[in-house]
Amino acid sequence: MSVAPLLEVDRVTMRFGGLVANEDVSFAVQPGQVFAVIGPNGAGKTTMFNAITGVYQPSSGEVRFQGKVVRKSFAARLLLRVGGTAIAAAISCMLAVNAVALWKAVIVANYVYGEPFLWGKAIGCIGPALSQVGALWTWGSASVGALLGGGGAFVLWLRTRRTPDVVAAAGIARTFQNIRLFGELSVLENVLVGMHGRLRTSYFTNLLRLPAYWREHADSDARAMELLRFVGLDARAHDAARNLPYGLQRRLEIARALASRPRLLLLDEPAAGMNPTETVALMELIRRIRDTGVTVLLIEHHMRVVMGVSDRICVLNFGKRIAEGTPEQIRNDPACIEAYLGKEELG
Amino acid sequence: MLLLAAAVVLGIIDGPLKLGLVDPMRGVLIFALLGLGLNIVTGFTGLLHLGMAAFMAIGAYAFAISTCDIYPFQLGFWPALGVTAVAGALAGFLLGAPTLGLRGDYLAIVTLGFGEIAQDVLKNLDAITKGTQGINPLPPPSLPLFGEFGSSPAPWYWLFLAITVLAVFACRNLERSRTGRAWLAVREDELAASCMGIAPIPVKMYAFATGAALAAIAGGMWASLYASTGEPGNYDFQISILALCIVIVGGMGSINGVLVGALAMIGVANIALPKLASWLQQKGVVNASNVLGSPNNWKYLVFGLVLVVMMRVRPDGLLPARLERRKAGGSA
Amino acid sequence: MHILHHLAAAVPLALAASTDAPEAASWVDPLLQQLVTGLSNGMIIALIAIGYTMVYGIIELINFAHGDLCTLGAFLALTIAGALGVEAWGGLGGASGVVILLLASAVFCAGLNWTIDYVVYRPLRNAPKLTLLVSAIGCSFILVNVALFWGGLPMGVFGGGVAAAAPKDFPGLVSDDNLLPAAWHVTFTASDLLVVSVTLPLMVALTVLVRYTKLGKAMRAVAQNPTAASLMGIDVDRVIGSTFLIGGALGGFASVIYALYNNTISFQMGYRTGMDAFTAAVLGGIGSMPGAVVGGLVIGLVRALSDGYLEARWTNSVVFGILILTLVFRPSGLLGAKLRDKV
Repeated sequence: MSVAPLLEVDRVTMRFGGLVANEDVSFAVQPGQVFAVIGPNGAGKTTMFNAITGVYQPSSGEVRFQGKVVRKSFAARLLLRVGGTAIAAAISCMLAVNAVALWKAVIVANYVYGEPFLWGKAIGCIGPALSQVGALWTWGSASVGALLGGGGAFVLWLRTRRTPDVVAAAGIARTFQNIRLFGELSVLENVLVGMHGRLRTSYFTNLLRLPAYWREHADSDARAMELLRFVGLDARAHDAARNLPYGLQRRLEIARALASRPRLLLLDEPAAGMNPTETVALMELIRRIRDTGVTVLLIEHHMRVVMGVSDRICVLNFGKRIAEGTPEQIRNDPACIEAYLGKEELG
Repeated sequence: MLLLAAAVVLGIIDGPLKLGLVDPMRGVLIFALLGLGLNIVTGFTGLLHLGMAAFMAIGAYAFAISTCDIYPFQLGFWPALGVTAVAGALAGFLLGAPTLGLRGDYLAIVTLGFGEIAQDVLKNLDAITKGTQGINPLPPPSLPLFGEFGSSPAPWYWLFLAITVLAVFACRNLERSRTGRAWLAVREDELAASCMGIAPIPVKMYAFATGAALAAIAGGMWASLYASTGEPGNYDFQISILALCIVIVGGMGSINGVLVGALAMIGVANIALPKLASWLQQKGVVNASNVLGSPNNWKYLVFGLVLVVMMRVRPDGLLPARLERRKAGGSA
Repeated sequence: MHILHHLAAAVPLALAASTDAPEAASWVDPLLQQLVTGLSNGMIIALIAIGYTMVYGIIELINFAHGDLCTLGAFLALTIAGALGVEAWGGLGGASGVVILLLASAVFCAGLNWTIDYVVYRPLRNAPKLTLLVSAIGCSFILVNVALFWGGLPMGVFGGGVAAAAPKDFPGLVSDDNLLPAAWHVTFTASDLLVVSVTLPLMVALTVLVRYTKLGKAMRAVAQNPTAASLMGIDVDRVIGSTFLIGGALGGFASVIYALYNNTISFQMGYRTGMDAFTAAVLGGIGSMPGAVVGGLVIGLVRALSDGYLEARWTNSVVFGILILTLVFRPSGLLGAKLRDKV
């Protein structure tokens, strides 16, 4: 292989208490491939998806995307954030704990009704007030604040190192086995939400409707409509997502996932519940997605879809990988046949 | 838009026709702002918040400290309101932080706890807040067109209407933008939103801060209107539940719904109830000393019934959000 | 004075006091007294907390209305006490009066709780959890107003119904005389004895019910998996109704004991005691009955110690602070299992 794999699942084990959902699973997805993961129900396929997308963290093993494990890295930004929070928390805590004493010394003591307030003098009273309160209360509260603030910020960073939004930002998008659309939002809005990570307008830009908002608004609407056209949903752009029929909901989920311009698209049983016509349309859609340069990782039960559209297949059973290869190879692999159809009873 | 026109017309005709409605409508507008704040946290983002009273209190006190002449700051109305909004937003950030990992009902209880603790803190730090006395008297606003506000309710009405219009504007702008969509997505399905690249934590924090800022502004308006913060005990659980009633009656997530809800709830509380009480008294069913005779004594019952009945009969509210969004074309 | 300064001042004072041998008792006695008071109040809180935890365990609802239910129980007790003139009975009559009040209130609260479930919560079994919570808040408010109106009854015990919102005095049916020898420096009154003698047997009875009876097994089954339980032939709605019944009865007992112990009731007492009890349930581990008891005792002690050594005006915040800290750092509580959120 001259090209580096896009996604590497490296000896991933998923353990939930006593239950081992995936055991030592490894496979690699090349860029531009359609790679399918198949296996009987309960084989651990969706769990694997969840491990890849950051919903779960692997109990052991690694998931590498473009050669690196996707997670927030120790960078100057972290130090700034932790440090900044610590300082802010220290000052706030110190002010809060000694609020009454400070208020009395700075404001009440210096303010005489009717006369102008001397700010310089008042601010000068902060120092003496603090030393009067005593080092224990000033430095003590400041330290507690710094600990809580800095510690809290750090713990938060640790806990959100590899959450799904981090993975999504890296360029991996997904759909869900049980459709998880934003039901009350319109079709168009669902796609716009999918685009969230690629849009830039900030809270205040939106609040004040600054020019940047209007530029992005027109742009994003146009791109979203384009995506809806790609999956054939543009006519229903303003319908509520939960009012769509099942097949169209699946397509909307795909459009939403594509909105973030991912390099890797994970499809979890996209053909579930579809009739033969819809299935053919779906296969066509997957091919078109691949042709735009997006790599597709697919969980599917529908053998026609799998065999018809995949470049490579990995078979899981009871959480372990039992085979990997081209559709031809898998079709004839005895272990796979046994997994699906059972062993042949002799005599 | 319709509501705005009606409100403007009301303001103009009330004086000449002696309807006497402008007076209580000021209260409606204050609570409309409170409702808008809760709508952002609970309606848009789906976080049940039972402590809005705390932010209203913080706003009232921030406003009072900024304007009262017992303290040196003595800002004008608009700067003080700005300080109030900032104070509210900050409080929203701080108090929202611990709630981030919590589930629906636990979150609700924690916010309720904040409401209670805020009351206690405001009462007990009396060197700053003057305890149960409250901070008063506050100078009336003095604005270009109206001069210094006197006893007539009309200038207050126009001022509050202007603030409410700005607030509605702000909420709509946020709703139909990337920020608002993120809020709605988190409400609908937090996990799916996360997989779309939305980090839930900042989203929730912004919701909290915005809601708190609006509630704080409502508190500032209240303090300004009554020229006093009143005692901390005024900002109790009943206020938080009133805000909840407003949002639920009007429709969770629907801005117009909140306005209608405020009208309905305050209309009932401040207009219908006193009329009921005085009618009962006239009929001789009860007299003034009887517990049933005072309109305030019916408030708990009304709020409770509203919540129970609405949840059974029409949980989406009078102006459900999806109808409103559909009318607006659905695109953000 | 600043809370933390107060606390800091108390510590050296206590230390100084303890170094003087003859005065050694001077800080022990108040402490012991606070412990006694705290534990007595704690047991009342625990009884109410059990009501919260049982309902939460079975339908994952924080029954906001539970505290206010207890308020109504207390008001009923006061009404009966007034109507029967129990105060005048004296001696053994007083004791039987207490029993009558306990039973009446328990039956009333049990029935009312069951009715609330039937009318308000049952139709919403399949509704989102927050809908249910909001309904519970609504019920709570309705009950508060009923208590307010009740306080306006033109009866002697209610002060002629003039000031409906004011707290009412509850007849002192149980004596406040110290049962312990004066040399012990600690007061343990008949009220304290009443608290212990009612709550302990109730808790034992409840434990027996949950562990060894068919209903108890059914309750545990429904709490774990309602669907499976109903497939096994358990009438889920009936079991839930029974849970409300039992929780209500306990609340009824608790309300009378509360009234006798504190000698005063008010229409808003449900909010305060309800919050204390709910905090206790969460602290102990929501859904766990031993947890509710432990939590109740802890909260009772915390309140007493806070009143005694901190300042009474901060006590409510301390309790809420505990609630918030528990929910943020250890939501499963002290005795609850660490539950993992399955995605």
